[in-house]
Amino acid sequence: MKRFLFFIFTVFLVFQRPAAAADSPQAHHAMAKDPLPCGEPVLACASVAAPYFTKDGTLYLAFAAGGKVLVALSSDYGRHLTPPVAVTPEPARIDAGADSRPSIVVDARDRIILAWSVLKDRSYNAEAFFSRSTDGGSSFSPPRPLTGDPASQRFPTLVLDRSGAVFAVWTDKRLAAAHGDAALAYAWSEDAGASFGPTRIVQSNVCECCRLAAALAGPGRPAVTWRNIFGGTTRDHALMTFPDPAADPATPGPIRRVAEDEWRIDACPHHGPDLSVAADGSYHVAWFTEGSARQGLQYAHSSDGGQSFSAPRSIGNPERQAGRPSLLAAAGRIWLAWKEFDGKESTALVMVSGDGGTTWSEPRTVGHTAEASDRPLLAAGGGHVFLSWLTRAEGYRLLPVEDKP
Amino acid sequence: MRFLLALALLLAASAAEAAAPQPFERGSFAALKERHAGKPFILHFWGLSCGPCLSELPRWAQFARDYPSLGLALVAADPVPEDPARIEAKLAKAGLGEVESYAFADEFVERLRYEADPKWRGELPYTLLIAGDGTTTMISGIADPARLRAWVASHIVTP
Repeated sequence: MKRFLFFIFTVFLVFQRPAAAADSPQAHHAMAKDPLPCGEPVLACASVAAPYFTKDGTLYLAFAAGGKVLVALSSDYGRHLTPPVAVTPEPARIDAGADSRPSIVVDARDRIILAWSVLKDRSYNAEAFFSRSTDGGSSFSPPRPLTGDPASQRFPTLVLDRSGAVFAVWTDKRLAAAHGDAALAYAWSEDAGASFGPTRIVQSNVCECCRLAAALAGPGRPAVTWRNIFGGTTRDHALMTFPDPAADPATPGPIRRVAEDEWRIDACPHHGPDLSVAADGSYHVAWFTEGSARQGLQYAHSSDGGQSFSAPRSIGNPERQAGRPSLLAAAGRIWLAWKEFDGKESTALVMVSGDGGTTWSEPRTVGHTAEASDRPLLAAGGGHVFLSWLTRAEGYRLLPVEDKP
Repeated sequence: MRFLLALALLLAASAAEAAAPQPFERGSFAALKERHAGKPFILHFWGLSCGPCLSELPRWAQFARDYPSLGLALVAADPVPEDPARIEAKLAKAGLGEVESYAFADEFVERLRYEADPKWRGELPYTLLIAGDGTTTMISGIADPARLRAWVASHIVTP
């Protein structure tokens, strides 16, 4: 019961900005000075990369480099990539870091839809944009704001519904002045990313500097997990699933607490969770905490639609800073990847469960690097499971995890 | 004494303008610690990407005014290294334009953090209280002013 006292659910309808105001959404952003050593809009200079596989095994890679969002394709599992095409016409301060990257989905008709945010001031307030390609990535529509509010929007995350509709969710500070914390905001596109409908707000207390994660729990029913602020100070994880859209399309479901880690801290952890929903409907969540109840990287699963979760399981070596989880449920198995760092070298590790997350294989090192690196991300394509990892020294790699999912 | 010297140099370098943060790179932490060895030293990590940090900055400005002879340095430790000009402007606005200041200047931020404290997982703000003998106390999150004052009181030999 207690957890319900922390929340007041309010739903607001906010209509999109008039088209005239969205003509050149980035024209007012000053040219960004890129603090990275390499500032060209090419993959070699990228700081983050997001993979998306279509059913035929084509890799669509979205990345941020040289102040632009770009997309490149590969039909041979990353060995060769097409020359990147810029989604954003003008350089801008793309919000791109370990916890922040462009989000990409590709629908059944190969239409590519992207969302990202652009930092607009000295306090990391940002504006979320979207764009799409209907010609297989040769060209992209002019970026348009996801929503029509001047308050900060970060971590836009897209999920493709089975109907072809596209769900977008992001952290949004339009109610922060009145409410104190950021909220979740979401919108649906019913026209394959040509436009997004009205923005709705899930009133919660979202930690504003951590990535959120979303996955499809059922037809028309996305689930979202994020670092929430419980009771004003406790930065533990929450999960919310949208109910049956036929019954009530506009109302979010109840917010559940994934685990009572009790991380009471007035700080930005810069470390968000990941979520995957398996074909049997089970939820799989991984997250980082430094709570009084437990510390380090954690994993839990739910077999009742996110109402209750298994006891958190500690993942990786805490002495090697295990963190930055990625989860993938495919073909009856669950993969969990993460990153460790020993002071000199970063390693990307993977383990797999064949019984819905109850028991796991030994962790296996899939890659390592001695320079800066992105968060390693699991992706399944063409009947294979890969770890997509961008590292400064080695470049972009799609590392095979196992031959068969 | 050191503060006055630094201030004089700053004023000489640029007519009352706030100084741009110096690059914080691999090895910078060890060099800073060495330079401040033998005296209490506070190293405060913050970032433009961190709301709680920005709300706490005025408190650090007050702290710097209250203890002008205490070794204090600020390090902007954003997950993606930020433009020094933006950091400089933010610090100047918060009244911290004359405090010794650094900014992460290496995208391998895990390594920079590890060198400062292997236990630090990247949350901001993060503060290291380093006694004259090198004994280090860490504060994760916004620092309780009373705790800071108590630490200074117990480590300052001559104010």
